[in-house]
Amino acid sequence: MLLLRLALRNLLRQKRRNLMLGSAMAIGVAILVTAGSFSAGVSDIMFNKIMRFITGHVAVRFNERGGVMREIFRDRGRILAAVQGDPLIEEWYESVAMFARAIGNGKSDNIILVGMDASKGEATRADWEASFRLVEGDWASLVDGTLENPAVFSQEKARSLNVKMGDVVRVRFRDMFGQDQAARLTVAGIMRNDNIFMQPVVFLELERCKRVLGYRPHETASLSLQLKDARRDAAAVAARLHARLAPGTAVIPASAGGRPVRLYGYRSDPGSREKLLASLRLKAGSQERALRRDGVLVPEGLAAALRLSPGGKLKVSWPRKFGEGPAEASLTVSAVYAGGPPGAPVLLNDRLFYGLYYPDLPAVPSDPDPPAGWAALLSPEWTLLERTFTTEDYKKKYQEIARDKHRGTTVDVSTMYETASDILKLEHVLNVITLSAVLILFFIILLGVVNTLRMTIRERTREIGTARAIGMQRRDVRDLFLLETLLLTVFSSAAGVLAGFGAMALISAPVFHPKDNPLGMLLVDGRVYFLPTFAGIAASVLLIIAIALATAWFPARRAAAMSPAQALRHYG
Amino acid sequence: MNIIEIKDLRKDYPLGATIVPALRGVDLAVEEGEFMSVIGPSGSGKTTLLNIIGCIDHATAGSVKIAGSEITALDDRAVTDIRLHRIGFIFQTFNLIPVLDVLENIEFPLLLMKRPAAEARRRAEKLAEEVGLSSYVRHRPAELSGGQRQRVAIARALVTAPAIVLADEPTANLDSVTGASILELMREMNAVEKTTFVFSTHDAGVLRYARRIVRIKDGLIEKEPVAA
Repeated sequence: MLLLRLALRNLLRQKRRNLMLGSAMAIGVAILVTAGSFSAGVSDIMFNKIMRFITGHVAVRFNERGGVMREIFRDRGRILAAVQGDPLIEEWYESVAMFARAIGNGKSDNIILVGMDASKGEATRADWEASFRLVEGDWASLVDGTLENPAVFSQEKARSLNVKMGDVVRVRFRDMFGQDQAARLTVAGIMRNDNIFMQPVVFLELERCKRVLGYRPHETASLSLQLKDARRDAAAVAARLHARLAPGTAVIPASAGGRPVRLYGYRSDPGSREKLLASLRLKAGSQERALRRDGVLVPEGLAAALRLSPGGKLKVSWPRKFGEGPAEASLTVSAVYAGGPPGAPVLLNDRLFYGLYYPDLPAVPSDPDPPAGWAALLSPEWTLLERTFTTEDYKKKYQEIARDKHRGTTVDVSTMYETASDILKLEHVLNVITLSAVLILFFIILLGVVNTLRMTIRERTREIGTARAIGMQRRDVRDLFLLETLLLTVFSSAAGVLAGFGAMALISAPVFHPKDNPLGMLLVDGRVYFLPTFAGIAASVLLIIAIALATAWFPARRAAAMSPAQALRHYG
Repeated sequence: MNIIEIKDLRKDYPLGATIVPALRGVDLAVEEGEFMSVIGPSGSGKTTLLNIIGCIDHATAGSVKIAGSEITALDDRAVTDIRLHRIGFIFQTFNLIPVLDVLENIEFPLLLMKRPAAEARRRAEKLAEEVGLSSYVRHRPAELSGGQRQRVAIARALVTAPAIVLADEPTANLDSVTGASILELMREMNAVEKTTFVFSTHDAGVLRYARRIVRIKDGLIEKEPVAA
């Protein structure tokens, strides 16, 4: 209490000097709080308003048969079962999007067709409405059954296509299977958004969008997952999901000539082919032709029963998981084998196998009891790509997909940290700016505290000598100066925090509507967005206090180390 | 019983490349309850002697015992404790803490001793009354005259009931009337509290108050005793 009383009174005693230093500290804290809140605001926008819509916090991407544009997975329910079981996943969205050429009234332009899931409830819809404000029409029109493919356009696209509410826009696009398609959209809404990246986007209701783009109801595009706490949980959720999506061995349980047969794909890479040939004894057909891309290897028992020989046709049919009636295929026998996998299955080159398997998934698509020891040679249900942790590795992964390396559907689980690191770099830049503010602040405090304490100690040398002569310990002298610095810093920080809030209110007061400016994406409702957090402010204040105390430590210790006799002799 | 025992005390001050001897072998014994004056001209070593007795300066050589304890080998923490518990100081320039009022200045050493605040306050009030400052307890040093400030300093020196009170030229900054009243007060306290007082002066006029006078010149005790 004695030290506290002395410290408080000493602060008041040197009002002007402490006011100057305190003001510098308060300005520093205000800058720190403002910069930190701006950085947190930008992070919030990026994580919760941009990343969430572009990639999701965690993304599950599918590329069927290695096709970069072929973002489709044929068993939507199976994937959703894996996703929906995770309590950390707040919401999931199907990311359905396609580049298209739109033809309006005498004008055409490029657009991106994006599916918007209207089934996610009021909260999600309100979120969309807040992010993409309509200037004409309403979001409910997207599910209006009386309109032909109702769509919401941005003001910029509506202008460039010369269309208004109710007009029909024709779109041409190449679908994921490489086929040219066309569709008609009705302008049901026009939105204004300040995010330049969202201007080419045309929203359709998800199910209609999927139908237009060629998806069947049981199929899904890539999934974007929204987490409750993306920063904390993204990596863990991705890892868990990755483990949960481990594929089984793909199989087509079929019948041929009234006999049950099992069709497996074999991996067609050179190493697997070599191993496979070494494991089989060919009874008919040559080694050169046995593994041809369009041929099948038939076990000798089935060949004998159906009187099949190389060049003959094996007709198979199997019950489908989706759709009515069985699927059928006629396969060319390339060889007859003995030995091989237990159960004597029919073996297909993986390209051929997946060509049958994916479009008409069998009722039981995964073999619960695959042939022992053969899993490494047989085709899996899909190819689960390794998790990558850097953007470089992520890019390499997709370059391999583009090089047609994978035969099956690739399934990739990624987090925003890999997929959109360029956007996240902006956050790092802001952190660097904040850090620079901290460094400037550090020097202000360093110079201010050191100079003030030096002057103070010089002026109060006799007082220090008196206190020491009376019986004050060195430690108490040191603590007195540290306490004065601490009090000054705490009061200054409190003033700085208030000033920071004032500055934020001032900066976020004007409303902007930047056109064609990427910085527009950093605005919320046209205003500069700040997100002050208790943790952020507390960290700033603690940082300032730590800097001030560290700076004050040495002068305070020097004051404490003075000999009382020397201090009492001081005249200054 | 000797409260202070000094043998062959030497103190040198380095001054650039040369060494200036301030005390050159002082022997002195002070009995408990004495009211003693150390006199001598400026630069004779009075303040140095008091500083060493008061544990605020170190001896270059020799022995100094306070209440039987050798102090020359103690570390800073221990000598600070001795200053706090056994010694009271009265300075020529009063040396009060400017941000504290009269009562707070007086109770300051007690609070350093971690005495309960209420007890410290009671003791400070009693001392303030004894030195005649009851009406000024809420005044800060800047609002007091020189004599009043020195009374505060006396009260502060006595508040811990120390064994020794050292006063370095306590009247040097006061007019003669005030100086006389301060010396009267010190003598009264010596009589009432039985505290040993050692004060330095170079003013021959104050010698009549001392019961024992030690004359110091060029760092040596010249003549003892000088009858009061």
